Amino acid sequence: MHSKPKALWLQGLTCNGNSHSFLNHPQLGILMERFELLYHPHLPCTLSLEAVVTCMHECDLLLFEGAFEPTMRRAGVALERLLEHYGACAAQIVAVGSCASFGGVFGSSGGLDAQSQAWSEKIINLSGCPIHPEWLALILSGFAEGSAFALDAQRRPKALYAHLVHHGCTRNEYFEWKVDAKGFGVNEGCLYYDQGCRGVLSHGSCNRILWGGVSSKTRSGQPCFGCTESDFPRRDLFKTRKNMSIPHEVPLGVSKRAYLTLAGIAKTFTIERLSKDLMDD
Amino acid sequence: MSTLKRLKRREEIIEGALKLFSKGGFYQTTIPDIARTIGMSVGNFYNYFTSKEVLAKELLLYISEYLGERIRTINESDATTQEKIRAIVAMYFEMVQSRPEMIEYFLRIFLSNREVFGEGCEGTVCVSAFITEMMLFFDDGVSCGDLREQDFFSAFGLFMGYLGGMAFLCGEKVLPHALDSYVDSITQNIYRALKT
Amino acid sequence: MIERRLIERIEGEAELEFEECEGRVAYATIRFEHMRGMERLLLGREGRDALVLTPRVCGICGHAHLMACVLALEDAYANAGHALTLSPKAQALREATLSLEMIQNHIKWWYLVMSEELYALRGFTPPKESALRGAYGAQIINRAISALAGQWPHNSYMIPGGVTCDPGALELLQAQTALFEATRFVQETLLGMELERFLSALTCKEITGIQSDAGRVEAMLLELGMQEKGRAYDRFAVLGSHGFAAPARLRGTKTYKIDPAQVHTEAAITLRGESMARNALYRGTSYETGPLARALQRGDPLIKNMHRRFRDSTYTRIFARLYECALLLERTAALLRGVVLGEASWIEPPPIERISAEGVGIVEAPRGPLIHRVRLERGIIAAYEIITPTQWNLASAPRERPGPAQKAMEGLHVSEAAFVFRSFDVCSVCTTH
Ligand code: SF4
Repeated sequence: MHSKPKALWLQGLTCNGNSHSFLNHPQLGILMERFELLYHPHLPCTLSLEAVVTCMHECDLLLFEGAFEPTMRRAGVALERLLEHYGACAAQIVAVGSCASFGGVFGSSGGLDAQSQAWSEKIINLSGCPIHPEWLALILSGFAEGSAFALDAQRRPKALYAHLVHHGCTRNEYFEWKVDAKGFGVNEGCLYYDQGCRGVLSHGSCNRILWGGVSSKTRSGQPCFGCTESDFPRRDLFKTRKNMSIPHEVPLGVSKRAYLTLAGIAKTFTIERLSKDLMDD
Repeated sequence: MSTLKRLKRREEIIEGALKLFSKGGFYQTTIPDIARTIGMSVGNFYNYFTSKEVLAKELLLYISEYLGERIRTINESDATTQEKIRAIVAMYFEMVQSRPEMIEYFLRIFLSNREVFGEGCEGTVCVSAFITEMMLFFDDGVSCGDLREQDFFSAFGLFMGYLGGMAFLCGEKVLPHALDSYVDSITQNIYRALKT
Repeated sequence: MIERRLIERIEGEAELEFEECEGRVAYATIRFEHMRGMERLLLGREGRDALVLTPRVCGICGHAHLMACVLALEDAYANAGHALTLSPKAQALREATLSLEMIQNHIKWWYLVMSEELYALRGFTPPKESALRGAYGAQIINRAISALAGQWPHNSYMIPGGVTCDPGALELLQAQTALFEATRFVQETLLGMELERFLSALTCKEITGIQSDAGRVEAMLLELGMQEKGRAYDRFAVLGSHGFAAPARLRGTKTYKIDPAQVHTEAAITLRGESMARNALYRGTSYETGPLARALQRGDPLIKNMHRRFRDSTYTRIFARLYECALLLERTAALLRGVVLGEASWIEPPPIERISAEGVGIVEAPRGPLIHRVRLERGIIAAYEIITPTQWNLASAPRERPGPAQKAMEGLHVSEAAFVFRSFDVCSVCTTH
């Protein structure tokens, strides 16, 4: 029998949100059976943090959560030293969450891949604040199977980030016909024009792989805040920047001319069904 | 008939009809009138446009695209916002003089016979090419910090209403000076009214 | 001699420093090293951005931060002369998801922290699936939160004027079904009895010796004498107003008035090195906060009984958390049953740009009162302050007046002291934020 790959979960400056999100995976036990978990902040594992920081152990898969802060120490040892050691022995490094991938909310010096040339080829960025447990499960299973993932320019697996958050949103038809939500707290209307939704500008699978298997930000009336992108957190998250009523940013890859042409035409028509409350007759 | 020839013929109809409509009005001008001006049989005319209403809409699209294309060139230049305003004003006044029928058509026919443009021309659909370019112009202006953020139509109305008014005064021969001598002062006024 | 002990497998990392006397703790201090500076990140942003950022203080109680934040913003509205009214539905949903987060916290703490450590302290290996049981229970609850609030962790579905969601019968049922499943888990696996029976128990006798995870923990706690250990000041503070808690100061079970304006902080003191934490105090005095404080404020019969016999011991503290978990399961189910779907989710407030005022938002988070204070200038955040529950419990103060956890560790062996420390449900990310 082959020995199981050794996985190590290490944290920089973080809120633990990714660790907790991962615990929400419904088949956590089955998933983790394929690994020897050397360290995780919450799950049972074979090493204590004090043992981890001796750097006398090796891992195959390094899962790094949080922002890399050069001055930070874990159990008295410089994070830089830990990363150097475990980053070198790992066959793959997963930057779990946006802080690890890009700096995110807490990082001031960019993502993990900015820290060392030596590892950058091994890094998979799983951006998101936090990650969805299924996303990480995909990478873990892939690692156990020895399969490789096609990555985008920001080293994110295309299988997850080729889509936009907009894909699968229940408000799509409202977007198409330019029926804007009349405010918050309604299921009718799209949140792009007034409420700041970045679904058409953000890569991610939030509306394909639902949270808790049941919902998403936009489905529950929150605008997408673009937490999977490197510029998260942007400013003015609950409103759409406009220039004389014209959205400052239009859907990814669509020219503003094309967008305005279609939007202008769509806006001309009043679709009765779409202007009514869903629950009305 | 080759497609090219057909397109050319179509354009001839459009140009001819524009002149007639803007001179004689929409209801007074008949299809035989149009056919006659361009030397075409009435039967053949119907091969191009199935009714006068359809033709009327096509004319509007034609003008909108004509205007849109010109503003697009201006939008895509690296002129400053003020220079762009000047270019749009100059272009418009130039059109008033070289293609008065287009402006007339727009001001007299489209705006006063809205019932003709009902289905298929709702809202701004038929003038979308033109409106879109104006939107892009305003969007750029606000984006780069030159123009003040406000509602699109308040800005659009100010800009186009002003130009339309000047075109009208010019058409009524009320203006004491040549239209293009107003370009600079009008540019100033528009820019001052819209700038941050 | 100073002994140090790293406390991990909590939310973040803490270090205990002990001064010992004949093998027992004479004085302990608590050090938190990492700080992220959330309050600074908020300055200059539009007020509502805090609804997105402050939940990111903490991966396990971010929803409590969200609620404290929205209440602070709404208070600023009120102080600017625009008191906002919420629909009963919006209020019920907020309270429900806040309670759900608390339930999953307690379940995780029970299985992933406390019982693991307890087994270790007794020299046993914990059952292999024990931690996974905790993750399972919490995951089901988080599904219920997701059905209403979109996701967990880190949603921002509470906004000034109400909530962003408009759940239909389907979403409500999804939440209720998850809650039902979690309740079954808690009954069958954790408690070994029906919620109702547990909640109506009047004495420890009624819950002792049961074949369940709670029963096994109880036996181990008694074997370790935890009913006599880990006592702090028997002085408590509750600041949030909810269906499950009301503001009060308590000495034992006697209640007194409390004025949130009197809460202040001071720099933490450690034996060696520097801590990034600040202690929270009420008029210069430290108080214990959290489930035990709330149980005594509510007057839960079982916990009162335990308290009468064992005072604020580790045993009582641990059972107060379990009791609250059961109580909230029952109350949240009732809250959801009462939701009237047709009501408005959100009543539009005036634009935030018009608001220049201060606001305070206080909620009961899993570990106790969480305070957000904001100052808006034309809707822009000019000042923001967060005081978290753990700043009360895990205060590291001079030896003349140690904080609750410091006090609770005094006189214990070092290994027991570390366990007692954990009975406060340590969260370093909140403490320093
Ligand atoms: S709400 Fe956002 S994600 Fe949904 S359709 Fe509109 S733009 Fe797309």
